[in-house]
Amino acid sequence: MPAYHSVFLDEPNQHLIGNFALLPLRTRTRGPALQLPPLPANLTDLTIDASHESYDPLDEVLSLFRANTFFRNFEIKGPADRVLIYGILYVSEVLGKIKPGMGKREAEKAVMNIALDTNFAIPGDAGFPLNQAFEAPSDRNSAETLRQYLMQVRQELATRLLNRVFADGTNVPSKWWLSFTKRKFMGKTL
Amino acid sequence: MASQTPAVVMDNGTGYSKLGFAGNDSPSFVFPTAIATKSQGGGAGGSGSGRPAVANKPSFLTGGAGPSGHLSGKRGTEDLDFFIGDEALSASAGPGYGIHYPIRHGQIDNWDLMERFWSNSIFKYLRVEPEDHYFLLTEPPLNPPENRENTAEIMFESFNCAGLYIAVQAVLALAASWTSSKVQDRSLTGTVIDSGAGVTHVIPVAEGYVIGSSIKSVPIAGRDITNFVQSLLRDRGEPDSSLQTAERIKEEYCYVCPDIVKEFSRFDREPEDRFRKHIVKHPNGRSVTVDVGYERFLAPEIFFNPEIYSSDFLTPLPNIVDTVIQSSPIDVRRGLYKNIVLSGGSTLYKDFGRRLQRDIRHMVDARIKASEARSGGAKSGGLEVQVITHKRQRHGPWFGGSLLGQTPEFRSYCHTKAEYDEIGPSIVRRFALLGGPGST
Repeated sequence: MPAYHSVFLDEPNQHLIGNFALLPLRTRTRGPALQLPPLPANLTDLTIDASHESYDPLDEVLSLFRANTFFRNFEIKGPADRVLIYGILYVSEVLGKIKPGMGKREAEKAVMNIALDTNFAIPGDAGFPLNQAFEAPSDRNSAETLRQYLMQVRQELATRLLNRVFADGTNVPSKWWLSFTKRKFMGKTL
Repeated sequence: MASQTPAVVMDNGTGYSKLGFAGNDSPSFVFPTAIATKSQGGGAGGSGSGRPAVANKPSFLTGGAGPSGHLSGKRGTEDLDFFIGDEALSASAGPGYGIHYPIRHGQIDNWDLMERFWSNSIFKYLRVEPEDHYFLLTEPPLNPPENRENTAEIMFESFNCAGLYIAVQAVLALAASWTSSKVQDRSLTGTVIDSGAGVTHVIPVAEGYVIGSSIKSVPIAGRDITNFVQSLLRDRGEPDSSLQTAERIKEEYCYVCPDIVKEFSRFDREPEDRFRKHIVKHPNGRSVTVDVGYERFLAPEIFFNPEIYSSDFLTPLPNIVDTVIQSSPIDVRRGLYKNIVLSGGSTLYKDFGRRLQRDIRHMVDARIKASEARSGGAKSGGLEVQVITHKRQRHGPWFGGSLLGQTPEFRSYCHTKAEYDEIGPSIVRRFALLGGPGST
């Protein structure tokens, strides 16, 4: 059984830039992503099911992250898988910023620093590690849209990850999550 | 007299030797197949362990014993200066002794050491007179007949044992599974998955005969699981991540889950229920607590997803089993799928058999469906896949030997000392099939 793939692969009417899918997100940050309805009161990040209408690719990234980081080989089956790859690599990067001794405040600051940084590589840029698998956007406009979409992904993912890492309310980052900082999904880092 | 004594069952594996008497529930002795000898012994077996030589005493210090100062005069007693099993391990920790493992990859590597190992097994541990007992020994599949002859030579000529039977471990493991309620007909057809410390074998057996050309081995077994647990503990910076601790955790807490992503989210939702604490007591009285988490289900997962542990071996165990059965003769495949038997310590994880059965069944069903589609409308009667989990898995081959060795006709299958004296070692190249059709 190889690594896990995205459940959004068969989603109809995907908006593509290059071969990257701009899937709808459940976020309040502003950007080009279509909005999904917020979580109903009886559900949390942890209990949402993949078939629920509010389930977004970022929920999927967080649930597959720990399993998929063990794999070095991953066959990309479609544009939605590229969202998954980007998300997982980004989570690795963010986890690397949280040090075991940090409190929640301090970690938030370190993480938001990279989440809000607008100067990151997007597919097609020279610094992007997966350019063999990701197509560059065709023109300047779509590159800008892709950058803004990734910005939304980065901010929302950072917030949700912080919630998970500090889930137990002790102000100490969970060592269960931090133990994954050394593993590299597909042997790559952002 | 000889007709009443129980047969001695000895299963010498690469890692551990299991010794006991036929008819018993479990082996009387289980210890490492290790022997410690004086490193500078000059004896034929000492392959030199690289320890510095113990300085020879000048002859005037050895007293008036005369020739005993001379090396050749000592040889008679030096041969007796050795330990086996756990004693060997502790002796080799001190000075003067080197440790040897006479069995490598299941086959006997050093006959001189093995002979001494057997002599201690028989006289010091089992404490029996070999003249009075029949012996049931085991061998790995594909053991060359010359090895059998060597074994017979030692058993008959050095120990003078009354009778000898050499059985293939996989066949004995099949016999051990007869204790499971799922087995209705006591057939000796089935696929044996034997996973010990070093290597995992998948061995198809048809009516008591091993299909040698289809055997496959997987380089993932108990030791790899221990190493994987250790690496997970280290990633997390646990206070104690020694190999012993990793092994304890592996044995006490690990289980096989149906799906790792679902299991991760289960750990998120029910942390109190899933995370455990393991207390390590140090000999100096201090104790530290090690948290046990995801390794509980990730460690055995390397059988089903080797990719998460190794970068050069990537085929999951269920696929290997399927390939093995598919490469066996077509008329026995049904029986091989129906009777997949587990054996060895690394198959003891909870739900190991269930997961294996599910994964193999998925593959088989997909293939049947594809061939139904290709045939255009023909319906298949289906294929039964059954993995047998039973209570004797840990010492499967030994228990199978104990089971067969207590049957009244066991002795008639053995070769006796008299037969050996008449025909010679080549007699052990053939044994009638014990437990085959017609017996029991």
